[in-house]
Amino acid sequence: MISPLLTDPLFLEGAIKILFVFVLVTAALVISARNLASLLTTYTIQSLLLALIAGLLYLIEGSPVLLSIAALTFVSKVLLIPFFINIVEEKVKIRRDMKFNYLEPTSSLMVSIALVLLAYVFLSGFFALDRLFFFGAVIGLSLTLMGMLVMFSRRKVITKVLGYLTMENGVLLFGIFVTELPFIIEVLIIIDLIILVLLTTILAVGIDSTIEEYHQRLLKLKIWSGREYL
Amino acid sequence: MTPDFPNLSFTLFCLLNTGFVLLVSPFYMSLIKKVKAAAQGRKGPRLLQNYYDLRKLLHREVVYSPTSSGVMRVTPYLNLAVLLLASLFVPVIFIPDAPAGIGNIIVFIYLLAIERFFTALCGLDAGSTFGGMGSSRAMSLSAVIEPTMVISFAALAYVLKTVDLHEMFAITSASAIPVSPTLVLVSISLFIIIIVETGRLPVDNPATHLELTMINEAMILEQSGKNLALIELTHSVKQTLLMAVLINILVPVGLSGGPNMGDLAVSGLLVSGLAFLVKAALLAVVIGLFESSLSKMRLFRLPVFYMMAFFFSALTILMEVFA
Repeated sequence: MISPLLTDPLFLEGAIKILFVFVLVTAALVISARNLASLLTTYTIQSLLLALIAGLLYLIEGSPVLLSIAALTFVSKVLLIPFFINIVEEKVKIRRDMKFNYLEPTSSLMVSIALVLLAYVFLSGFFALDRLFFFGAVIGLSLTLMGMLVMFSRRKVITKVLGYLTMENGVLLFGIFVTELPFIIEVLIIIDLIILVLLTTILAVGIDSTIEEYHQRLLKLKIWSGREYL
Repeated sequence: MTPDFPNLSFTLFCLLNTGFVLLVSPFYMSLIKKVKAAAQGRKGPRLLQNYYDLRKLLHREVVYSPTSSGVMRVTPYLNLAVLLLASLFVPVIFIPDAPAGIGNIIVFIYLLAIERFFTALCGLDAGSTFGGMGSSRAMSLSAVIEPTMVISFAALAYVLKTVDLHEMFAITSASAIPVSPTLVLVSISLFIIIIVETGRLPVDNPATHLELTMINEAMILEQSGKNLALIELTHSVKQTLLMAVLINILVPVGLSGGPNMGDLAVSGLLVSGLAFLVKAALLAVVIGLFESSLSKMRLFRLPVFYMMAFFFSALTILMEVFA
C-alpha cells in the first residue's frame, strides 16, 4: 500500500510542496512568537521538515548525498542543537522575548510577504529550473531573508541565534534545490553551527539581556575591559 | 447556465440543508465545551446540554430594558433569518442546482457582516456600559479582520477559479488529488477566521462574563429569554457554516451530488450527512484543543494573529501565481 506511493514522483512532489507550506508556517511563527520555548519547538519542527524534504527528494532523485543530508540534518538540527539551546533556556531567567527593533511582528509579517515576492522576482530572472526546484529555491531564499529579518528585528541575543539558525535552514533548502553542494561543505557548515551554539551555551551569562546590557554585564564581571568599546 | 427556479433539487436543498444545519449546530457548541473541559480535567456539560438550554430559554419571558428601542426586538429574528439565508450558500449534504447568486462568496461574507452589525447595534441599544464596550471592541476588531477575511476568500476564489461556494465544493470534491499546497495554506487562514468570527479563545473568551475580556458576550448581555435562545442559535449556526466551508474545501470526501445531479438517492444523503457529522466533530475537537492550548491574547496583540491569516492568504495568491 505504502511502497507504490513512495515511488510515484507525482505523489512525492505533492508531498514536498505541502511540506514547503509548513516550512513557511514555521517561518511566520519564528517571526511572531514571543515565548522562547515555543520558538525553539518551532525551529525543531522546521529542521525536521527540512530533513523530511531532503528524504523525499532522495526518493525522487536517488542521489545518496540527499539521504546523508537528511540524516545529518536530523541528528544535528533536530536533536543536538535544540538540546544545547534548551540548556541555555533553562539557565537564563527569561521565558519570553518581547523586545523588538524597528519592526513589530505585524509589520515584519508584511515585510516578509514582500521578501517572498522579491525572492520570486529575483530568482525568476536567473534560473530556468524545473517547477518543483524553482519553488524550492524561492522558499529557501525567502526563508533565508526571513531569518535575517528575525535577526535584526529581535533584540534578545537568544532569539537572534534562532534567527541565524533559521537563516541557515534557508541556505540548506536553497542548496538542496539549486546547486548540489559537496557533502563535505554541508558537514563543515553543521560543525560551525554546533560550535556556534556551544559558544552560545558558554556565553549564557549574558544571553538573557540586550546587547547594551550585555556589555555592562561583561564589564561588571571583569570578563572584558571594555576599552575598545569606550 | 441558470436552472429554472423553483426546481425540485433546490427546494429539497432549502429544507434539508437548512434543517440539518439548524439541528446539528448546538451539538458542536457543546462538543467544543466538552473537549475543553476534558483538557482541563473537568467532566464538562452533557453533549446535548445546549439543546436543553435552548428549550429552557425558549420558555422564558423576554425582558427589555426601558431605554431599548425596536432594534433590540428585531435583531434576534433578523440575525437568525440572515444566517439561515447564509446557510443556503454552504452545502453540507449535497450540492443542488441553485439559482444564480446563491453561493456567491462575497454575498456570504456580507451576510455574516450584517449579522455582526446588528449584534453590535443591539449591544449599544440597551444603553448598558458593557454592551457599548463590547460593540466598540467588536467593531474595531472587525475593521481589522474584514480585509483579512476578504483576502482569504479571494485567495480561495483565485485558487479554485470561481466565486461561487457551490462550484468550489463541486471542484474540490471532484478533484483527484486530495490536497494541494495552496489549499492547505488557505485552510490555515480559514481556521483563524473561524476562531475570530466565533469569538474563541485567543481572541475572546466564550466561557466568561469577566468585564475586561468580554467582546461577544458583552454585546448579548442584555438579551433574555426567547431572544437569547435565538441569538445563541444564530451564533452556533454561524460556527457550523464556517466549519463547513473549511471542511468542504480541505476534506470534501462524502459530499454528494454535482450541480447537474437530477435524482438524489436517500442512502447517498444519509451517508453524506453522517460524513459531515463525523468530520465536523473532528474539527470541533481540533478547535477545542486549540482553544485549550492558548491563553487569551491582549487586545492590542490581536492584529498579529489576524496578520498571520493575512500572511498565509497573500502567500496563497503568490504561490498560485508561481507554483
